[in-house]
Amino acid sequence: MSLILALIRRDLMLSIRQGGGAGTALGFFLTVVVLLPIGIGPDQALLARIAPGALWIALLLSVLLSADRIFQQDYEDGSLDIMTMGPVPFEMVALAKAVAHWLSTSLPLAIAAPILGFLVNLEAAAVLPLTLAMALGSIALSFLASIGAAVTVGLRRGGLLVSVLVLPLYVPVLIFGLSASDPGAAPGLTFAALLILAAIALVSLVLSPLAAAAALRAYLR
Amino acid sequence: MTMQYLANPTRFLRLANALLPYLWALTAGLLVIGLYGALVSSPPDYQQGETVRIMYVHVPAAWMALFVYSVMALASAVALIFRHPLADVAAKTAAPLGAAFCFLALATGSLWGKPMWGAWWVWDARLASMFVLMLLYLGYMAIWAAIEEPHRAAMVARIVALVGFINVPIVKFSVDWWNSLHQPASVFRMDGPTIAAPMLWPLLVMGLAYTFLFLSLHLVAMRAEIAARKIRQIQIAEIGER
Amino acid sequence: MDFAAAHAGFVIAAYGLSLVVLGGLSAHILLRDRRLRAAARRLDGERGDTRA
Repeated sequence: MSLILALIRRDLMLSIRQGGGAGTALGFFLTVVVLLPIGIGPDQALLARIAPGALWIALLLSVLLSADRIFQQDYEDGSLDIMTMGPVPFEMVALAKAVAHWLSTSLPLAIAAPILGFLVNLEAAAVLPLTLAMALGSIALSFLASIGAAVTVGLRRGGLLVSVLVLPLYVPVLIFGLSASDPGAAPGLTFAALLILAAIALVSLVLSPLAAAAALRAYLR
Repeated sequence: MTMQYLANPTRFLRLANALLPYLWALTAGLLVIGLYGALVSSPPDYQQGETVRIMYVHVPAAWMALFVYSVMALASAVALIFRHPLADVAAKTAAPLGAAFCFLALATGSLWGKPMWGAWWVWDARLASMFVLMLLYLGYMAIWAAIEEPHRAAMVARIVALVGFINVPIVKFSVDWWNSLHQPASVFRMDGPTIAAPMLWPLLVMGLAYTFLFLSLHLVAMRAEIAARKIRQIQIAEIGER
Repeated sequence: MDFAAAHAGFVIAAYGLSLVVLGGLSAHILLRDRRLRAAARRLDGERGDTRA
């Protein structure tokens, strides 16, 4: 267990020291959110209506864009090779790296989203549900992204392929995330959507280390 | 390793070669009967008129898109558990067939939707999940195309197929949820809960015809893929001898 | 099938498209099969290998 924590800490340190982690993803997030009103016009009522959806889509894209970094560097410098032989089960290594990605990238993005919401006229009542839904949904986003990252780790141009592979997996998160972010919905509905988001997060938490580790092994043989 | 690889494909090829003439005959027969039922004997719908005839090519294509993905996932699971190369061949060659059926389901659905809904594309739950299925097919095929080394591609593709398969019911569930929130007024249902017998039997026969068409094409595609792998092995062996 | 009915064009387009896609796919698969098996046989012959 402490070894896994050490692994997470190492990845977090790396992503902070090297830069280009959460910072770049946040910059991308900001860019998408700013481009949107420019693209569809400054109508405040319209912006308020589409704000949650726009923020969710910007979140998905930002997480996707940073996904290929989850395993890439450790694959290239051979660290992953050594980790397959270490005392930690390789599935746990994959889990630790996805957790580190969540802590370093997805969670900061989810927290930043409601703040950026002011740029697209997000209703005040929507701030709390949106933050909750994004914090919960971002767990699944990071884990599912780790599957895509593992599956394409040895490919020269894996970035675009990650998007094609992972976006279909993001559809349920997007739908229930938006459903939970709607301040106008009945409380029971919001709660149900949050529960389903949590269920999706749990499923992806179990599934993605298995899938990612198996895919990484294919590249490391 | 080589012996083990060659032994079973040889047996498979013998079986496929023996079965294929019957499968083709069955496909052709079912298609003729099904098309007769679809275009001649079945009545036009009292609401939709002749347009309902699109159902006989649309619904079987949608069935096949789902069925072929199940075949692909099953073959991938067999490949993952038993490490059998033939199962990888089965999964790989099923994907383009499934993608073609999926494309047909989307395209004929659109052609049906235009006169019925007045729009080429309506974001209804079934169309949306079929669209996601299409993306899953494309992603799976992209993995095979992107990874050059066949053994590695097979290992990665199994995972992609199985993760996608787990995803399908979740997408279905979520899209139904989304649809119920956004479209309270019920749109026209493409296949109503009850279909009269003169319309039902052509639909089922066309479904069977599509199934046997898939089985025939799948066996041929597997046979071709086995030949392609054999050519590759011989070429590698020749490079090794030099 | 009444070809003069309203929207008959859509029906014809749907059947025509199905025919083109499935027919094209079948032709592609059958031709690829024939080409690859012939190539495999030829390579086998060059190596003096009699396995089919």
